Amino acid sequence: MKDTVGITALVPPELIYACGKRPLDVNNVVPGSSSSPASKLCAWTAVWRDMILSGELDIDSLVVVAGGDCHNALVDGQKAELSGKPTHYFFYPFDGDTDYFRSQLEKLSLFLGGVQDDGIITRITDLKSRGKALDEQRVNDRARASDVFSALISFSDLAGDLDAFERTLDSIPEADVEYTSRVALIGVPPIYPDFHEVAEGFGLHIVYDELPYEFIRLGGCDLDSLARNYTKYSFAGPIETRVWFIQDELRQRRVDGVIHYTQFACHHTLEDEIFRQHLDYPILTVQGDLPRPSSEQLKLRLEAFAEMLEVMP
Amino acid sequence: MNIGLDVGSTTAKIVHMETGEIIFSEVVPSHRWRELIDDGQDEKRIISTGYFRKKVPHFTAITEITAASLGARYHDPEAQVIIDIGGQDTKVIDLRSNTFIINDKCSAGTGAFLELAARYFDIPVDSLGDMHQRATKEVQINNTCGVFAISEMISQLVGGYTMEDVIYGLHQAFARRIAQMVPPADKVMLIGGTVQNTGIVDAVNAVLDSKIEVPIAPQLVNALGAALYRERSNSSR
Repeated sequence: MKDTVGITALVPPELIYACGKRPLDVNNVVPGSSSSPASKLCAWTAVWRDMILSGELDIDSLVVVAGGDCHNALVDGQKAELSGKPTHYFFYPFDGDTDYFRSQLEKLSLFLGGVQDDGIITRITDLKSRGKALDEQRVNDRARASDVFSALISFSDLAGDLDAFERTLDSIPEADVEYTSRVALIGVPPIYPDFHEVAEGFGLHIVYDELPYEFIRLGGCDLDSLARNYTKYSFAGPIETRVWFIQDELRQRRVDGVIHYTQFACHHTLEDEIFRQHLDYPILTVQGDLPRPSSEQLKLRLEAFAEMLEVMP
Repeated sequence: MNIGLDVGSTTAKIVHMETGEIIFSEVVPSHRWRELIDDGQDEKRIISTGYFRKKVPHFTAITEITAASLGARYHDPEAQVIIDIGGQDTKVIDLRSNTFIINDKCSAGTGAFLELAARYFDIPVDSLGDMHQRATKEVQINNTCGVFAISEMISQLVGGYTMEDVIYGLHQAFARRIAQMVPPADKVMLIGGTVQNTGIVDAVNAVLDSKIEVPIAPQLVNALGAALYRERSNSSR
């Protein structure tokens, strides 16, 4: 059995697999949890932290993305380390410095015991190509957004098992999607497990999931090319670059409106006014806290947004 | 005839419309909404809105946001921003960008906040406006939390201010809380039953740098908007 490496945000899964380990994005278990952490700011990190400390989340080591994404993860990751879990801190460069990022990949590789099988990267690239195709399929109204989201969100760890993940991709059906409006979902992914289904119920076809789309970044077969690819991870860079990237996607995907999901006590919430200033679309901002089925308050907002996009000139 | 039925958290409102004109309207407490509908009345004519929109007979149910937008435009086609102060939440709708925000996590800035204050003074909530007009001094009240605002209000009474002065201060605090949600605009329309309190209208007027409009029967705007939704659908067929 391969060692399981927990990751707290996007860490090139190509490298983890190449080092002979099995990545597990600890966030992916959070929406299915019903816990209410006693000590928390953001529930995403607090839930996985408690699950690691209690042993409910069975990982051998942890890689904390401590620079370029989540600030709470830095503290909660240290709590895991203090409990005895081997922990490594991984930093994205804010200025896109590929030399710096290459050194980060080298340090990560050392922590993981070194590259054993870089041939596996080709297979990951093939699976990611399928992810791109799936994303395109829903943009062309040939796949349900909820199905596509559940696959794309798993591209951060490829479910820890490439064979099982390939079967998951195989199982996603083609569908003729009917909807009233096309929307983009930006920000961190919703902590509500049924968010996409609820949006679909109101006629909203989510044709862009910002962060999961970032997970299927293609390209990179060695440390140099992986460094070049992952320094473009827009979530870790300046907001201006991220806005340009989002603007481009919104245009290409012909969206009618934008939903900005924010997480209670997450610093990304502060980006809302920047998006409102720079994205020329109707924007709905919603906020979640604990992982639970979508609340009535959220449903009212989604329903009203769908109506506004459909009814108002 | 088209019927707009708005059953909110506190009151139920009905508007009958025929060829673009309001021919009947009525308001009752929410739990008595059945009195607004005749037995055997054709459900197919009712467009419902409000908290209970899906629980009452209806042909179509629409959210309060859409209903408010249509109702406000009926009164003023140039309206830019709507502030809908309800019993349990406050909604701010920017008609220029089709965006809205809802405050439903904090009682400050909702009708519930004023009911809490009226209950403390043991006076009817609809007398708050008269009290406001009789104030002689401005009292500073914390504007961040309904519960702490009430305890602060008690401290001001202990400090010698009159009930009227304190109510004036509460209305100012209420308006400042709402103002945080409102984008810059030339024209802002206030709707909802709470707007019948003239103290609230005065306070919002003082806090916002916009022209404030209050339609006739501000509590009926959402029911009107619901009826208009049907009119709009009929005319597009």
